[in-house]
Amino acid sequence: MAATEISSSEQYNFDIVKKFSIMAVVWGLVGMSVGVWIASELAWPFLNFDIPYITFGRLRPVHTSSVIFGFGGSALFATSYYIVQRTCQARLISDGMATFTFWGWQAAIMLGGISYMLGFSQSREYAEMEWPLDILIEIVWVTYLAVFVGTIMRRKQPHIYVANWFFLAFILATALLHTFNNLAVPVSLFSMKSYSLFAGTQDAMTQWWYGHNAVGFFLTAAFLGMMYYFVPKQAGRPIFSYRLSIIHFWALGFLYMWVGAHHLHWTALPDWTSTLAATFSIMLLLPSWGGMINGIMTLSGAWDKLRTDPIMRFLIVALSFYGMSTFEGPLMALKDVNALSHYTDWTVGHVHSGALGWVAMITFGSLYHMIPKLWNTEMWSKKMIEVHFWFATIGALLYITAMWISGITQGLMWRAFDQYGNLQYSFVESVAAMHPFYAMRAIGGMFFVTGMLLMFINVMMTVRQANAATAKVTAAHRAKMAGMASA
Amino acid sequence: MEWLNWFASFENTKPVALVILFVTFVLIVLYVFGDKKRSARLETYKDMPFLDDATEVKEGKK
Amino acid sequence: MFNFKHEWIETNVGLLLVLTMLAISIGGLVEIAPLFFIKDTVEKVEGVHPYSPLEQRGRDIFQREGCYLCHSQMIRPFRDEALRYGHYSLAAESQYDHPFQWGSKRTGPDLARVGKKYSNEWQVAHLNNPKSMVPQSVMPNYPWLLKTELDYSDMTDRMMALRAVGVPYSLNKEEYESNVKRFGAEEAKMLNIADARKNLIAQAQENNYDGDNSSITEMDALVAYLQVLGTMVDFRKYDDDEFVKYR
Repeated sequence: MAATEISSSEQYNFDIVKKFSIMAVVWGLVGMSVGVWIASELAWPFLNFDIPYITFGRLRPVHTSSVIFGFGGSALFATSYYIVQRTCQARLISDGMATFTFWGWQAAIMLGGISYMLGFSQSREYAEMEWPLDILIEIVWVTYLAVFVGTIMRRKQPHIYVANWFFLAFILATALLHTFNNLAVPVSLFSMKSYSLFAGTQDAMTQWWYGHNAVGFFLTAAFLGMMYYFVPKQAGRPIFSYRLSIIHFWALGFLYMWVGAHHLHWTALPDWTSTLAATFSIMLLLPSWGGMINGIMTLSGAWDKLRTDPIMRFLIVALSFYGMSTFEGPLMALKDVNALSHYTDWTVGHVHSGALGWVAMITFGSLYHMIPKLWNTEMWSKKMIEVHFWFATIGALLYITAMWISGITQGLMWRAFDQYGNLQYSFVESVAAMHPFYAMRAIGGMFFVTGMLLMFINVMMTVRQANAATAKVTAAHRAKMAGMASA
Repeated sequence: MEWLNWFASFENTKPVALVILFVTFVLIVLYVFGDKKRSARLETYKDMPFLDDATEVKEGKK
Repeated sequence: MFNFKHEWIETNVGLLLVLTMLAISIGGLVEIAPLFFIKDTVEKVEGVHPYSPLEQRGRDIFQREGCYLCHSQMIRPFRDEALRYGHYSLAAESQYDHPFQWGSKRTGPDLARVGKKYSNEWQVAHLNNPKSMVPQSVMPNYPWLLKTELDYSDMTDRMMALRAVGVPYSLNKEEYESNVKRFGAEEAKMLNIADARKNLIAQAQENNYDGDNSSITEMDALVAYLQVLGTMVDFRKYDDDEFVKYR
């Protein structure tokens, strides 16, 4: 057994996977903690402390970039490098290029966070980084594409496994979105400030084409790639239906790109665009649920694993949240529902049922599966995974419930009329009514972060234990060699 | 180039797009699920994630 | 066609790449490209003009502080929004906004027509300490705006960059003349890049937004920006259903 693991770690570049896995956990802890902080700022505004760098408006992009790109992105780099090597049975084409993607990516997120706090922002949601960082990301991304495709070209298998199709679609789509959404003219070569190439309506459409497809490809397609590998591996049985995955892939890739404009219902965007987006949003339900069913049914015949295996439970609960969010999404894309839900906390709740429930949970499951394999050991504490699972689930549910109530309340209060046909509530009355739910949301977030902290400790202890074991083996080996030499 | 204007009207493009998309979808579904032999062949590829376990075991035996 | 095998795609990364790219490109192309060509996307309406230098600097600060994360600038065509905020927003009203600031969340109220709704004094007091004006507010205090002098040393560079992306700030006589025709003589002077700093200082001195004329602060710029929001179009000039045909 030991011999095989050593051989596979020589065969593959696991070093880069280890680095990205550790950073995924670190960014998860950082990004989610910032999330709890800004959630608390909304509930208890004194927490802004009159310090410019930590006001809500500047910290919010720090939260979104560090969880989406830091935590999610690092987890995707880690798992895609792991999966592409193992399913192609080929080593990454270049260790140097892979290492460059690591440092380039970490630098971009780190500098991005600092620059937001200093007040540099393009003010495009989820694409706040200013032009020098955008260029850095562009270079990292092209390198990533080259490493990924190059490794596939080296494969020893004739076939490319589905997980890799999803990762490829994610890399291509992200390149496309990042490039077009960040077109801007800098004020000068030595200024961080730039102005976007497009204005008004066209700019709004470009931004939400980006914004929704960041969800569609970064936070969905790529994590489905994770799902298509780790769910079968953890369950010990192949994916439920390979044919369904073919339909899932093409339908999802094609349909997603149309739906961005549902973020702009009832705005100055022409009606035809948002109607088209609403229609495609409904259609998107089919591939989404196809994928969910494909994942969950993989476990059919081994349902007892849900009781005994907390990693399996993370993966399956992630798929259930995915199914829930992808049902809620099309619902909110209907114009009549959107008239109520848009601009409210309902949207925030929806995003987090995807982000906490789907993205984070599938990542936790995948990392707990992968990390012991990378370090050739067992997780330090299985009990702790179990506890993490419950903290995460309770946290996510608290969060989502709070936002449902506050979102719908806001929507209803804004449109309420009294018997004389006047507005029943002033805006600030709706703000005041949100307080208990904002507090509840912050507490939900605290639960989730506590789980994340447990994971951090568990992973660090696992790595320590693995390093200690390796040191022992090496020492024993040396002693043996020395003994042989003396004899 | 006058004929291009025909596409500019929603009344024309909507049904056309619907037919094209629906036919494509049906063709894909028929292709993927329609033929037993093809189905069986496609399903054989799903074992790929487990293939490198096999090589590991082999190497382990060496 | 009948001999097509999905295996071709699965075993050829080049083909997989090209077909994936094709599948993901269509949606964006169909929805975004026409917006640049269909003339009705942006309404024909009088009065909308680019921001003055001071207002533009205020807008930069609006972006810097992340105001768009809690305040939208896009009023929807509903009765409650008409009563609360005013006429629904037109595409024309953000035609010079690089980038757009429509927002996606109303933790605070919409700002598309906040201009002239409150006095300068109210805006300054509110930005400095929102709770002093609205006790239940959850907005952070922005005391540094009053204390920080506005940096307008690169104002011409900023306007040049905006001009490069299509905002009609004038750089020469010819462009100036065309602005006179489009926006009137008074406005055209404001849009002249050569006079940017002079215009900025003059506007700040004349309006004295922050109540202290000894220096131009970031507060001056931000309030100047807030006070112009949604005030450019005179809706009394148009019928109620004038803009419906553009939707």
